[in-house]
Amino acid sequence: MALLDNLEEAKCVQTVWGKLIPEKEAYQYAVRQIASFCANLFQVMRILEPDYEKRTSAICEISYQMNMAASSEEYMKGFYDEWNIPEFCERSSWLGAIFGDSGDEYENMAGRVIQFTRDRVEKELDTCPWDIVGSELCNMTTAMFTANFDLNSATGENEVALNMCEARGCGDRHCRVVAERRDIYGQEKQGWMDHMNQPACPVHDTPKERMVKQGQIIRNGCYSNAFGEEKSFTWAYRWCMEKGWVWCVAFPLIAIRDMAESDEEFERIFKIVFSTAGKNAFIEPFAVEGLRSWLGVPREIGDNDPRLMGGYIKNILDTQLVPCELEAFTEDEVRIRVDTETFNGRFPMAPVEELTLGYETLWHNMVKTMVSTEWSCWFEGKDDEEMTIVVGRKIDKRMI
Amino acid sequence: MLFKEDEAARRQHQAVRENAGWYRWTHDLVEVKGEKSTEILDYLFVNHIAAADVGRSKYTTMLNEEGKIIDDTIVMRMGEKEYWISTLYAPQMIKWIDGHKGDAEITYKDITEEWDMYSVQGPNSPAVMNRMLLDPVDGIKRFQIQDNSIDGIPVKIHRSGFSGENGFEIYCRMEDTGKIREAVKKAAKEEQAPELTILEVYVRSLPVEKGFALRQDMYGLTPFECGLDWSVDLDKSFIGKEALVKAREEGPKYRLAGLEYLEESYEDIAQKEIVYCKGVPCGFVRAAIYGYTVEKNIGFAVLEAKKAVNGTKVTVGMNGSAAVVTDKCWI
Repeated sequence: MALLDNLEEAKCVQTVWGKLIPEKEAYQYAVRQIASFCANLFQVMRILEPDYEKRTSAICEISYQMNMAASSEEYMKGFYDEWNIPEFCERSSWLGAIFGDSGDEYENMAGRVIQFTRDRVEKELDTCPWDIVGSELCNMTTAMFTANFDLNSATGENEVALNMCEARGCGDRHCRVVAERRDIYGQEKQGWMDHMNQPACPVHDTPKERMVKQGQIIRNGCYSNAFGEEKSFTWAYRWCMEKGWVWCVAFPLIAIRDMAESDEEFERIFKIVFSTAGKNAFIEPFAVEGLRSWLGVPREIGDNDPRLMGGYIKNILDTQLVPCELEAFTEDEVRIRVDTETFNGRFPMAPVEELTLGYETLWHNMVKTMVSTEWSCWFEGKDDEEMTIVVGRKIDKRMI
Repeated sequence: MLFKEDEAARRQHQAVRENAGWYRWTHDLVEVKGEKSTEILDYLFVNHIAAADVGRSKYTTMLNEEGKIIDDTIVMRMGEKEYWISTLYAPQMIKWIDGHKGDAEITYKDITEEWDMYSVQGPNSPAVMNRMLLDPVDGIKRFQIQDNSIDGIPVKIHRSGFSGENGFEIYCRMEDTGKIREAVKKAAKEEQAPELTILEVYVRSLPVEKGFALRQDMYGLTPFECGLDWSVDLDKSFIGKEALVKAREEGPKYRLAGLEYLEESYEDIAQKEIVYCKGVPCGFVRAAIYGYTVEKNIGFAVLEAKKAVNGTKVTVGMNGSAAVVTDKCWI
C-alpha cells in the first residue's frame, strides 16, 4: 500500500504559537466566553437593582418584547420554510418547541424534547453553558419561550402555561421547561415571576447514565429536527457567534441600562464589575500555567511578556470568529487590528457597543495578573472604522 | 420521545393496532396535469407510474442524478392525465419539477392549502368509515382512491396510510374541513376509536414497528439500500437510473437496518447519533422510538453494509448504549 500524499485535514483554530485547537473545542470555549460576559453583565444588574423580582421582571419583559418584535410574520414564514414544517402542520403553539429546541442545540445546551404534542411540550437539558449566570437568566428564558409560543399561536393569543420547573442555574441536575396548553390543563395566564412552578402533568426525568455532555452538533456534527432537516456544525457555530450575544447580552442590556440613573452611572458600575472579573481571572498561578498550555506558549515567552496577553486576545477573537490581524507582536508591544463594526456587531441587527467597553476593561485588568501590572490593554480608534487593541506599557497615576 | 411508561401514547398506539384511531395530519399535495403528465412523472420517479390505472396510487421514491433518494411519495392517478403527489416537501418537489420538466406540456401546483386530510387507521377502520360515508368502503382496494360523500359533502377516500394497518385517508375541500372533522369524530366515537394527539405515535411508533421509514430516514441512500428493490422499474428511463444501475452492480455501500436498543430507555440518542461497531464508527441512527406492540426501544440506522449483519452488537452515542442490528420490520 502506497504512503499517503498528505495528512488528513481538519478544521481548527491555530494559536499564535501554532497550537491547534479543534473547531469543536473552539466552539465550546467561545460559547462559554459569551456566557461569562453575560454573567458579568448580570452582576452589574444586581448592583443597579437590588430587588430580585423587579430586575427579573424587567429583563423578562424586554426579552419578550424584543423576541416578539424581532420575529415578524415574514421571519416566521422563513423559519417554517427553512425547517420544512409541512403546510398542514397546525400553526399552533407547539411549533414554538421546534424553534426553541433548535436554538438550544446551536448553543450546546444538550438535551432532548421529552414530549412534543399539540397540548404539551417538555424539554429537558443536561447541560447549559449559561448555567453560571444565575436564576434571573433562567427566568428570562421562560419569557423568550413564551414569545416563541405566542408567535406561533394560531389565534395570536397566549395559549400556553410555561414553567421552568428545574434549572441548572438554580442547582438542579437538569433544566426542564414544560409548556402546557392553558385551555386543556385549566391554567391561568402567567406573570413574569410565575414561570418556575411545577407543571400540571408529571415530568420524565432522564437518569444520570443516559444524560449527555454535549449537544447534537458536537456529538453528531449536525442538528437534526423532527422533520428531518439538518444544520451542520459549521452553520450552528456561526449562528451562535452571531445570535448568541443577542438574547443574553443585547436584550437584557436594554433593561439594565434603564436601571441606572444615568449612562455615566451605568458605565461606572459596569467598569468596576468587569475590572474585578479581569483581575480575578488569573490570580491563581496555575491559571497562567493552564493558559500557557492551552495556547502552546513556548518557554522563551517569559513571565513578563505582553505577547502572552496578546496571544490570548487573538485566540479569543479567532474562536469567536471575529476577523483580526496582528500588526505588532514583540516583547514591547502587541497590536491587533479589528473592524470596529464587526467587533461590536456580531449580529449586525443588534450591535452591542458595550462589547468594546467590557472587553477593554476586562483585558486591561486581566493582564495585571496574567502578566504583570506594568502592562495595560487599551483600544485605539474606537470611533473609527477600524480599531486597534493594544497591549503595552502605560503609567497612569489614577489607574484602577 | 416515547417511553415505555407513557400510558397515553400506549393507549393511542394500541387503539390503532387493535381497533382504530384517527388524526388530522398529512403530507403536502402537488397536483400535476397535462398531456405529458404521465411521461414526466415516469421520468421523475422510479416506479412505473403509467401502469397505475385511474383511481389507483403507487408508492415510489424520487432520485437525484446520483441515484440517491431525495423524496418518497404516493402518486395518485386522479384522471387520465391528472395526478396528485403526496410529499412532505411540496416546495422542494415544485422546484425539482421546474428543473426537470423541460418543455413538456404540463401544469403543476401546490394544492396543499386547498385540501385537508383526515386519516382513520386500524383493523376496525372500515366500520368507522362506513358510519359516515354514503357508499361503504368494503370494495375499495389498497392504493385505490374513490369519490364518496359525507353528509352530502364530496370527499375522496384513499385506502392507504402509514400505520401498517388497514386504513383510509379522507380528502376534503379545505372549506369543508370543520364539518368533516365533526363527522369523523362522531363516527370514531361510536366505534371507541380515539383521536391520536401524540404526533410520535402516528409518525414514528406505529410505522417503525412495521418498517415504514420517512424520507429523512432514506435520504441519500439508493432504493436498494433501503430494501425498496420492488419499487424500481429499470425497464423505463428515469432520473438517476444510470447511477442506480451502476450502484446495483457494485453492491450496496450502506443498509437501512433496524436497531433494537438493549437499554431501558434512549434519551441519549438523537436522529443522527453515531453507531459504533467494535468501537469504530459504522453509521448513524435515523430513528429511535418505543414500540408499544413489540415492547421494545427500536429504530432505524444507516450502517455500512458489510457491518450491518443481523445480530451484530453495536453501541450508540457517547454513552455507549448497547444495541443489536436487526431487520427493519418488527411485526
